[in-house]
Amino acid sequence: MTTISDPESVAALAAEAVDNRVNLDFETEGMTLNMGPQHPATHGTLRIIARLDGEQVISAEPMCGYMHRGYEKLTEVRTYPQINALINRIDWLGSFANEVPFILAAEKLMGVEAPPRAQWIRTILFEMSRIANISLFLGDFGLQLGGMTAGFYAFRDREWVLNQIESATGGRFHPNFDRIGGLKDDLPKGWIEQSHTAMDKLLAFCDEMEDLLVGNEIFQARTRGIGVIPADIALSYGLSGANLRASGFDWGLRRDNCPPGLVYDKAEWKVWTHPDGDCFARTWVRLQETREAAKIVKQLLDTIPSGPVMAKVPRIIKVPEGEAYVATENPLGEMGYYVVSKGDLVPFRVKIRSASFNNISVVPWVARGAYVPDLISILGSLYFILGDIDR
Amino acid sequence: MGLVESGKLPQPLAKLLNISRKYSIWAYQWGLACCAIEMGAAFASPRYDVMRLGVIPFPASPRQADLVVIAGTVTDKLAPAVVRLYEQMPDPKYVISMGSCANCGGPYWDSYSVTKGVDQLIPVDVYVPGCPPRPEALLEGIILLQERIAHEDMSERWKGEPIVVG
Amino acid sequence: MSQLSSADTETTEPAEDIAVAVDETREAVLAEFTERLGTGVVGSHIRVGDDLWIRVERAQWVAAAESAKAMGFVFFDFLSAIDWLPSPFGRDMDAQEDRIVAGTPAKDPEPMVQGYAGGDTRFQLLARVYSISAGLGINLKCDLPDDDLTAATWYTIYAGANWHEREAREMFGITFDGHPNMINLYLPADFVGHPLRKDFPLLARRVRPWPGIVDVEPMPGVEDEEGEGE
Repeated sequence: MTTISDPESVAALAAEAVDNRVNLDFETEGMTLNMGPQHPATHGTLRIIARLDGEQVISAEPMCGYMHRGYEKLTEVRTYPQINALINRIDWLGSFANEVPFILAAEKLMGVEAPPRAQWIRTILFEMSRIANISLFLGDFGLQLGGMTAGFYAFRDREWVLNQIESATGGRFHPNFDRIGGLKDDLPKGWIEQSHTAMDKLLAFCDEMEDLLVGNEIFQARTRGIGVIPADIALSYGLSGANLRASGFDWGLRRDNCPPGLVYDKAEWKVWTHPDGDCFARTWVRLQETREAAKIVKQLLDTIPSGPVMAKVPRIIKVPEGEAYVATENPLGEMGYYVVSKGDLVPFRVKIRSASFNNISVVPWVARGAYVPDLISILGSLYFILGDIDR
Repeated sequence: MGLVESGKLPQPLAKLLNISRKYSIWAYQWGLACCAIEMGAAFASPRYDVMRLGVIPFPASPRQADLVVIAGTVTDKLAPAVVRLYEQMPDPKYVISMGSCANCGGPYWDSYSVTKGVDQLIPVDVYVPGCPPRPEALLEGIILLQERIAHEDMSERWKGEPIVVG
Repeated sequence: MSQLSSADTETTEPAEDIAVAVDETREAVLAEFTERLGTGVVGSHIRVGDDLWIRVERAQWVAAAESAKAMGFVFFDFLSAIDWLPSPFGRDMDAQEDRIVAGTPAKDPEPMVQGYAGGDTRFQLLARVYSISAGLGINLKCDLPDDDLTAATWYTIYAGANWHEREAREMFGITFDGHPNMINLYLPADFVGHPLRKDFPLLARRVRPWPGIVDVEPMPGVEDEEGEGE
């Protein structure tokens, strides 16, 4: 540490430290803890600057932007199929789910509807990406709290779903399979039976996670009663998905306001809520959602209609003038695309409403008064993907 | 004993040292974006197990690591952190750049906030292309790095120009 | 097609000749909004069965938020802005594609045309809030004059607006009065410029223009056409 004596170098260092937000007043009480961009317990490059009083957090501020790739600017210079390839990478675990709201918004503006077979397969792949995403969450949450076994099980069992997605689309993730008007290709032979097997294995995995992780008393001690978010705060911040349902609020976009183009009404399934609103509730709701997703996939697999997978759309996609917003219930929450089109090959403006952005904006509110290990629990249970926060 | 830096290391001993080094790499976890998931699948899943190659993916601190796999997009805001963490690693250290974002900017080649390739910041030994590269591709990259280590001249590395970054 | 019956309605929707579907819930929401804000509502647009856009005056931006929240729109979706200036850089690659496909020369720069619910200025704030009980959302727009890109903050009404307003400031240069923490969210502190403005160039494309279409994937079921690309 250099000694700082003259005000000029203090000023220079202060200017340099704007990005680092280091407290240069050298107060004796209160320590600033920097959970820097590289940390094994954050899902990527999120930086939390926490002011501590002993072990308790006075204020915790997430600094994001370390994965900001400028999506909204890039969409203004790419054609619609190129954007489809790019937006896979926003929520990079459940990648197929990112394409769907954008494609639905473009289809809405064009007035095109995908044929029923395409809608079925879209929904099946959507739910499979949900399973791929949340099974990693369960494993990773265990990893963050110290239970490494859960992580290995998650990676192993996730391979079943990734196999299925890969055999249908060609990519383990970033499938880039959705097209305006339908899908790129039909399913390969034998896919339906293999998917049934994969879903059975996933249901077994969920049972295993329930015993191993959720039923573990250390896990419960670290998550019960921690990070309680009441429902009205959650709504005001725009929390969505499992975070909102874990605060007791019964609302699911798939059931209540499903955009046309996805066929959730053709299967019997349930929306899970939990009244507590703490970290345990969020994990528990996500676990149940994974089970429901596997059940939805099994039901839809039995009822896929036959037919074409692509509607008649022109070769070069020009979306007519207009604005549209479509939101779907993605694995992380509610994700929506507000597409402004001027009738070109390229959209005029695309506003990406990503779920984790709102989910993490609640961290300064919920982390006051928590202890440092609880901060990890809270961050883990709110479940974000950096690409989704930073776009 | 001063054999390495003075260049008087006998050949069989050099070969033995290289072989033992290449089979005991400690790879540091620096997963940034989507490639990190494939790196996790390569490192932690029993299907593409990387430990059979001798690479142990456990250290979370750069001070104990030999290898860093930069997996994912590097943004301009993150660039100082990458350089700092690279400098914290002790020599001899190796860098694998995984994925097209780390190789050259990738699908974000025209973005205003992305560093077009991590080799603008730190020297890279092996580039693994793909978006994301399959875990097998990363394993091949590690095997290429192991071959490179096997044919490395330790004294040249010791005496050579220090790699000046920035 | 449903048109609004308030004083200054501007829509850019082309006339449809399908018959009279009237979206009663949305009309009712719009009517209540107009009742609460009076002359503050300066434009609107309804897409039947789908969505509702309301444009308000800048002075009534916070009042619009309060009305929305009082009417049950408690879920905060997003808040951002739109820059309606047609890009002075064209679309590079697509200018080439235009020429190849249509056989015409590159298009001239277009005049500035706003979208649904009209508008007069280059920058417009865009926000969306959602009512869970009613199952519908409204998009609120607001004009910002070019020489005074400020608006009042929504933070006191919808707490989630905090981060969204920070992002709007660094991306467009719009300041929000009363915001507690107006620092950069995504960009480094020494970043110069506001990236999402249309006159902010993507330098990589300036330095090395996109080579054009070289690989076109044929649509499934359609045979490969010659003509575009190699």
